[in-house]
Amino acid sequence: METKNIAAQEPMIGEGVGFERIRRITGYLVGTLDRFNNGKRAEEHDRVKHSVSSCCSMRQEHTA
Amino acid sequence: MREGFFFMIQQIVKRDGRMAPFEIDKITNAIFGAAQASGGQDHDMAQELAEQVEKTLEETAGTETPTVEQVQDTVEKVLIESGHARTAKKYILYRNERTRVREMNTRLMKVYEDLTFKSSLENDVKRENANIDGDTAMGTMLKYGSEGAKQFYEMFILDPAHAKAHREGDIHIHDLDFLTLTTTCCQIDLLKLFRDGFSTGHGFLREPNDIRSYSALACIAIQSNQNDQHGGQSVPNFDYSMAPGVRKTFRKLFRDNLAKALEVFGEDDNNEVDARALTERVEQETGKWACLAGGNGYDEAMAKVLSETLDEKTVAKCMKFARKYADKETRKTTYQAMEALVHNLNTMHSRAGAQIPFSSLNYGTDTSPEGRLVMEQLLLATEAGLGNGETPIFPIHIFKVKEGVNYNEGDPNYDLFKLACRVSAKRMFPNFSFLDAPFNLQYYKPGHPETEVGYMGCRTRVMSNVCDPTREITYGRGNLSFTSVNLPRIAIRSHGDLDWFFEDLDRKIDLVIDQLLDRFRIQCGKRVRNYPFLMGEGVWLDSEKLGPDDEVGEVLKHGTLTLGFIGLAECLKALIGVHHGESDEAQNLGLEIVGHMRQRMDEATEKYHLNFSLIATPAEGLSGRFVKIDREKYGMIPGVTDRDYYTNSFHVPVYYPISAFEKIAREAPYHELTNGGHISYIELDGDPTQNLEAFEAVVRAMKEAGIGYGAINHPIDRDPVCGYTGIIGEVCPRCGRREGEGVPLSKLQKLGLYKNYNSTTIGYHGDPAEEADRQPNALKIVKK
Repeated sequence: METKNIAAQEPMIGEGVGFERIRRITGYLVGTLDRFNNGKRAEEHDRVKHSVSSCCSMRQEHTA
Repeated sequence: MREGFFFMIQQIVKRDGRMAPFEIDKITNAIFGAAQASGGQDHDMAQELAEQVEKTLEETAGTETPTVEQVQDTVEKVLIESGHARTAKKYILYRNERTRVREMNTRLMKVYEDLTFKSSLENDVKRENANIDGDTAMGTMLKYGSEGAKQFYEMFILDPAHAKAHREGDIHIHDLDFLTLTTTCCQIDLLKLFRDGFSTGHGFLREPNDIRSYSALACIAIQSNQNDQHGGQSVPNFDYSMAPGVRKTFRKLFRDNLAKALEVFGEDDNNEVDARALTERVEQETGKWACLAGGNGYDEAMAKVLSETLDEKTVAKCMKFARKYADKETRKTTYQAMEALVHNLNTMHSRAGAQIPFSSLNYGTDTSPEGRLVMEQLLLATEAGLGNGETPIFPIHIFKVKEGVNYNEGDPNYDLFKLACRVSAKRMFPNFSFLDAPFNLQYYKPGHPETEVGYMGCRTRVMSNVCDPTREITYGRGNLSFTSVNLPRIAIRSHGDLDWFFEDLDRKIDLVIDQLLDRFRIQCGKRVRNYPFLMGEGVWLDSEKLGPDDEVGEVLKHGTLTLGFIGLAECLKALIGVHHGESDEAQNLGLEIVGHMRQRMDEATEKYHLNFSLIATPAEGLSGRFVKIDREKYGMIPGVTDRDYYTNSFHVPVYYPISAFEKIAREAPYHELTNGGHISYIELDGDPTQNLEAFEAVVRAMKEAGIGYGAINHPIDRDPVCGYTGIIGEVCPRCGRREGEGVPLSKLQKLGLYKNYNSTTIGYHGDPAEEADRQPNALKIVKK
């Protein structure tokens, strides 16, 4: 999608275009969270990361 | 007009508000029907009572036209007051049943209305399965059929006790819309299917002759079988199945390149004919084909034959040329075949076009050079992604991990295990299955890939076989149907009384066994022609022994009847206040509960001589359904009904902070108990491609803990504007735009993107730099 930045008269690319966020649902992947049903959407939102710090140096962070 | 102050009733008001003539015969018939149902025969009495009803109505209704409900109330009153109690009871039952049917019809129409006029964003029913696009014409048509079928079965087919338990959320009958139609899933042995060709029901396909046809027909087989069943489709032996295709391709390419070499180096103008004749002769003499790894004597034999007409140096040149280019082109062709397969499985349609097939591919153990090439190229095509570098959604890849084959350094397929980890760290597939887990290892016979456990995408597993213990194999089998129990509900109702909990659990299990058997009887009555591909083409084990009009019951017995469960964590919270991730006591109780369910399935297997099994339910639609009903019934209970989902099967809750290794240790023992299928997930933070060591450590920990099937989740985000793939928070790390924002063209061009931007290429494109990355990054195929 192309629009003009009025001040610079320069083409702007990507207006209205979202990011794709691929997540695993029931074993398979889904390209966008929009397709998740309400229960699964809530579940995905609550997921926290599992640290592997005792073995390797991966960033540890709980995001829930 | 009759005498007196009463108005004679001439009309009644129907439920929809319209008027209809009052007909006393209708009342007579209804009363007589109820009387007959309780053993009565007296029609005159019924008529007398009907007249009494009319009289009473005239007295009570006054000048107003009575409604249908008023008439029915009066019938009840008259029956009771005149001492016809049993007839009254039947009449009330009949009336309630009619009311329920009417309400269901109204509800169905309301469901249809929502399906028609609401988008999937507003309508949860349209998002029950995320891989069906509920906004399309075919997706909506599928939902009309599905919702209508469910209500029909509930009203007319299901045992009322099963229907009630399902409706009220004690149990959940999965895929209810297919109750009378088909079974869940199947592991398709492509080797067997391709032998001598097959028919899709719409046309006959001969046995394929090169790897491109092998991969194309693999997709067609999956698609065709998907239309005969309601669950997923899996290939248990993708590596072994495709290897003959590579073998045929190499043979052909060796011959073609030999022909070219003969022209260039041997100055042979009749080169193509000659190459063909030479190949035929050498193949006959040696009984071998030219092969990828060489070393089978073919090359030497060919060189000898060539030296009859060419000098030694020219022979050497021809042989070198033929081998070099046959090798190179076979590799390239195999990559293209695998790339096409991944593309096809993400774009081809099944089920009236609303869904792409739910496909799974198991592989990892074929150590032949051809099988290895297939796996390598499939993994590389998956790593490269789709047209614009997007992550493929299907197929689900399942890499079979086995000691001595691919798990340790020095194992013949160890390089492929490493590659599988690398690809999974980028694309979330493959998942990993573990053939060394004791409950999988017990079936494993080296040299018999059919005894290697295969998983069906989301987790289904079929191995033991009480109906034919000589065939405890993966190929040609699958689940028939499954029904889940609402564990948290039983726990809530037990008020912490464990004895009561187990008693009620047993009652629910009895009900589920009964319901699975009912459904099995319906499935058994189907005929081969109802499943033109699954049964007609001999995909299902032993179905090739049946004729088109035979019933399928005898061969269906190879499948499983399965009990499932969700919400073990919420169940434990309700019982003792803690879940199994946070307490050893809860873990022990959790194992006792799941162990009990497994034991009940083993007992049912023995009793009915059918393959009953226990599955860790993959709840998609169900995750929100049970808790919604329970919250309405029992209120908001902290840790139990306070979220919008019940936790998946035996998983430690997704919200609970726990290390990867602790989670694996907690969940592993449940894998052994759930013989109908299981999976454990680990959520990794950050970009695991930057830390493959950690990724592999998690896979190895799963294997060592005795997990049967596991997968690692990590965020895969992509900005379609600049093509960045990785983790995107609020802002894209490459082009700096926020979701929905535009980014100046000059900025993109500084990043090396949109170099060819002009008026004809307006729009957003894939990242050309990423396109360039999509070169097969070959592993060295070890020559044997």
